[in-house]
Amino acid sequence: MEHGAIFGWTMLWIIFWGIVGGIVTPRVYERRNLDVSQARLGGTAIGAATGPIGLIPLWVFSPTLSSRWITAAGLLIVAILAVAFARADPNNLCVTNGGFVASQLTNGIVIGIIYSLMALGLTLIYSILGVVSFAHGEFYMIGGMVVYYMSVSALFENANPLVWLLGAAVVTFLMGVAFERMFLRVMNTGQIERPKEYAILVTFGLAFFLQYATQALVGANPVKTQRFFPFPNLDIPSQESAWLIKTTSGNIRLFDAVSIPNPRFTAAAIAVILLLMLMWFLYKTWTGKALRAVSQDQQAAAVAGINPNTMNTLAFGMGAMLAGLSGATLVQVFAWLPQVGIPASARAFVIIVLGGMGSLPGAFLGGLLVGLVEAAGTGCIPDTTRAAAYIPAYGMVILTLTLLLKPTGFFGREL
Amino acid sequence: MNLNRMGGWVVGTLGVIALLVAPVWLTNSPYLMHLAITSFFYAILASSWSLLAGYAGQFSFGHMAFMAIGAYSAALMGYYVRFTTAATNLCRELSLGGIWIVLLNPQGVTQTNTPNCLEMAKATMPVGAIIMQPPVWAGLLAGILMGALFGFLVGSLVLRLRSTYLALFTIGFSEILRAVISAEIDITQGQSGLKMSPLFPGGISLFGMEFGAAAKVPPYYAMLLLFLISMAIMGWLASSRFGLFIRAIREDEEAAAALGVHVVRYKVLVFVVTATIAAAAGVIQGHYIGIITPNILIILQMSLVIAMAVIGGLESLVSAAIGAIIIEFMLELLRNSFDIGPFSVDMTTWRLVFFGALLMLTLRFRRNGLIHPLITWFSRRNVGQETVANRAAAAAAPDA
Amino acid sequence: MLKLEVNNLYKNFGGLQVLRDVTFEVNGPELIGLIGPNGAGKTTLTNILDGAIKPSSGTVYLNDKRVDTLPPYMVARAGLGRTFQVTRAFRRMTVLENLLVPAMALHATGRQNFEAKAREVLDFLTMSHLTNEYGRALSGGQQKLLELGRLLMLDPSLIILDEPFAGVHPRLMEVIYEYIHRVNSDGKAIIIISHDMDTIFTLSKRLLVLNYGDLIADGDPQIVKNDPLVKRAYLGEDEEEG
Ligand SMILES: Nc1ncnc2c1ncn2[C@@H]1O[C@H](COP(=O)(O)OP(=O)(O)OP(=O)(O)O)[C@@H](O)[C@H]1O
Ligand SMILES: [Mg+2]
Repeated sequence: MEHGAIFGWTMLWIIFWGIVGGIVTPRVYERRNLDVSQARLGGTAIGAATGPIGLIPLWVFSPTLSSRWITAAGLLIVAILAVAFARADPNNLCVTNGGFVASQLTNGIVIGIIYSLMALGLTLIYSILGVVSFAHGEFYMIGGMVVYYMSVSALFENANPLVWLLGAAVVTFLMGVAFERMFLRVMNTGQIERPKEYAILVTFGLAFFLQYATQALVGANPVKTQRFFPFPNLDIPSQESAWLIKTTSGNIRLFDAVSIPNPRFTAAAIAVILLLMLMWFLYKTWTGKALRAVSQDQQAAAVAGINPNTMNTLAFGMGAMLAGLSGATLVQVFAWLPQVGIPASARAFVIIVLGGMGSLPGAFLGGLLVGLVEAAGTGCIPDTTRAAAYIPAYGMVILTLTLLLKPTGFFGREL
Repeated sequence: MNLNRMGGWVVGTLGVIALLVAPVWLTNSPYLMHLAITSFFYAILASSWSLLAGYAGQFSFGHMAFMAIGAYSAALMGYYVRFTTAATNLCRELSLGGIWIVLLNPQGVTQTNTPNCLEMAKATMPVGAIIMQPPVWAGLLAGILMGALFGFLVGSLVLRLRSTYLALFTIGFSEILRAVISAEIDITQGQSGLKMSPLFPGGISLFGMEFGAAAKVPPYYAMLLLFLISMAIMGWLASSRFGLFIRAIREDEEAAAALGVHVVRYKVLVFVVTATIAAAAGVIQGHYIGIITPNILIILQMSLVIAMAVIGGLESLVSAAIGAIIIEFMLELLRNSFDIGPFSVDMTTWRLVFFGALLMLTLRFRRNGLIHPLITWFSRRNVGQETVANRAAAAAAPDA
Repeated sequence: MLKLEVNNLYKNFGGLQVLRDVTFEVNGPELIGLIGPNGAGKTTLTNILDGAIKPSSGTVYLNDKRVDTLPPYMVARAGLGRTFQVTRAFRRMTVLENLLVPAMALHATGRQNFEAKAREVLDFLTMSHLTNEYGRALSGGQQKLLELGRLLMLDPSLIILDEPFAGVHPRLMEVIYEYIHRVNSDGKAIIIISHDMDTIFTLSKRLLVLNYGDLIADGDPQIVKNDPLVKRAYLGEDEEEG
């Protein structure tokens, strides 16, 4: 009970001064005719990090709030929480066992890469169409389902897993293209009164449809594929002391401390390759450059002879495909159900809001961060049942706070 | 126009009378009664959501959260609040002129053996002291107040957020609430949920007949009454200045403000009103079903309400309500699975597939919904002719 | 008697200074033209007067009441009405409802009186045949008229019209002219923003010239027209004619 109390009071203190800073600072800055765009976020961060010690000088001198200040305050908050946590629960694995922490962090980054891949798809769609697809998680789910059912089908059973991935990519891409053509293209014709709201509802309807159609077709029993690429047995430098790398078919152990299960490792490796391919596509090919041009400026692109309709279709198809591929790589990690898309969607929303809607680097960074936070959350919180219930909520807290304090996220454009 | 309006009143009155006397025929089928009650519940939610989204343009995904806040407030009150005529001196309590409002300590799900503070205090309390569970109406009041409070909070927080951002924020709000309820097992009992007393624990006599606590007729009328009251309130609001202003805000916030509309006030107010109504519906439904669990907050539930409102007609309270009633009945009646040759068709899932497809197709091809065009056809059928006639007259007249 | 005092207004957007020390007064039912090249800050000035954005510094008093700190709806109630450069009719409300919004925002009393008044306004704007049409069904010009009608219902003492003549047929122009004269003779001051020089010179009795943030001239249109500063900065391209 003791540790709960210390940690709880620290949290309360942080929240209280965060709210005070967030409410008062913009008023102070506004009264002095200063730039208020960062005042809410800055006030909250500095209030939460330092309490009245930092807030009072802030209000007296009201300096220009640079991102550097705000980042510093954010890191300070994390540090304070970490210390409070360590003091409160000194026997926690996260406090005593460095190797465990390293493992958790590595696994967080590993899974974060895949989250990034999925969020990149969502942010790509947003940057081109101005639409958040509420069916993103369902494409993720379908990607996984395609891989699973290919892997158990007579025809593809013995094929290379890359063929399964290709299958998932093709299916989700075509579904995305078909949906965009049938339902989203009308948004640009002026027939729809409130295109944004229409898009929200119609993608929401698609999510509902896909989820239950999948359930009707394949049932609601969890499925999982076996490992795509089991590790060869490696012992480096030598069999007696394999301190650098030691692998079994299902696990890899680095530096005798960090261990990563094979499915996660291969999933992340595939995700990295896909990310590189995506970068190559976006930055080196004509079509990719055209996509980025449209995302920057619809009109200028139209003048340059890029057909916006084609770009919209392509972007939605590719977005759906990226979600499908993330699912396809993760179906060897998690048990797969028609409902797995729901938390995946939610996570992708968190990531793109945090990174800034429509920002590709933001989505990448946001994915890694969310992966890390989840790993820390699952690994460190002592009360496991409660932790399991709260894990999805952490992301949502991040989401709501970002929307309230800085709706543009890390790298987003002005609203 | 006048004839149309009168027609509307006649149809409306006939509809209400039909709902009022329906139990005479339905009462032999508890299943149909249950369906009717549930459909009223969804009608309240869908129509209040249509006020929020269709009229005011605030596409919130947090409507079920307000409903849950109402239901949980009432349920928690039933669990942890007692009225007594004597002080316990052990529990947290508040004295109100001879009556004490006592707050029990949460027991958690596992430790059922340790008595709560009131049990322990009984030894020291005067003989004959009365201990009373809060009545259902007190829970209803608490639910409504909490709904209004949270409506106010959310409404104030989302003032600057539009469309996609608002949708994401309200999803976040709803999910956080669900996580908190699921996680704080000591208080909310998590997934196993909180039991709620029947609406009329001691039974009630209606029209000279006695009904027990489990009878369906009293909750039917309770839910119907709430439905009619909320429709009346919302209908009145929608046709008054409130309705005019929130529609203006939906169309163009800045233009509305430039014309003197207090945008902030009405945006917050519409959240308060719709959250309150949703919370009240949650309280009644919770008491009727007898239990409340965090599962009412899953996305499927919110999807149902949205789909009902959209398919009925988002921009009309009555259409949304009718849509909800029809869809609730259809969903239930489509439940029967059947076999085609060797294939068995599991309708419990397939009906939702059709439903999702219907939602998308309605949005795409009938953006005013399926019910609403029927109503407007009756009420606005003259406008076109009127305009044409006026235009002809204006053209015939020499330049004005 | 209307009085508007604008004192030393500055407005910066980030590093861009859009208004610089703008000071002027309006006394009584004046008819004022406000001109300036694209991006001169005319719309920004309107937005500040109307409360939609806050000035970086400076004050605005309307009838001796400070309004630059007030939100737009309070400024509107204090007697300032404006139209938008891009028309902003409420598209999914009927023309009548469009007109009722400002009237009912201003007064707490019933709807009937306003309906009668709205019908009068529509008659005057030659739009009575459109009373029950939705805003989205109107043509661009009709939407402009609708905005003007909404202002009449608001009954402000000062009206700012941002580009009322852009994209308007000569026939409709007549209606707007008449509107301006009638509203003006009702004792309301009007500021008209326009790029249409002929119209501005014939309509207005006083001319304000904004040039990239500076108010470089304020006075009788004919005198302003020949002001060397204005000629150079703004009417430069017309020099051979003038
Ligand atoms: N919200 C804003 N943020 C940044 N810059 C702005 C903003 N609003 C206006 N500006 C800039 O301020 C300057 C003045 O704009 P304004 O709209 O007031 O010009 P204007 O005189 O109305 O021009 P026009 O005749 O084209 O309507 C422009 O350079 C514009 O880019
Ligand atoms: Mg302008």
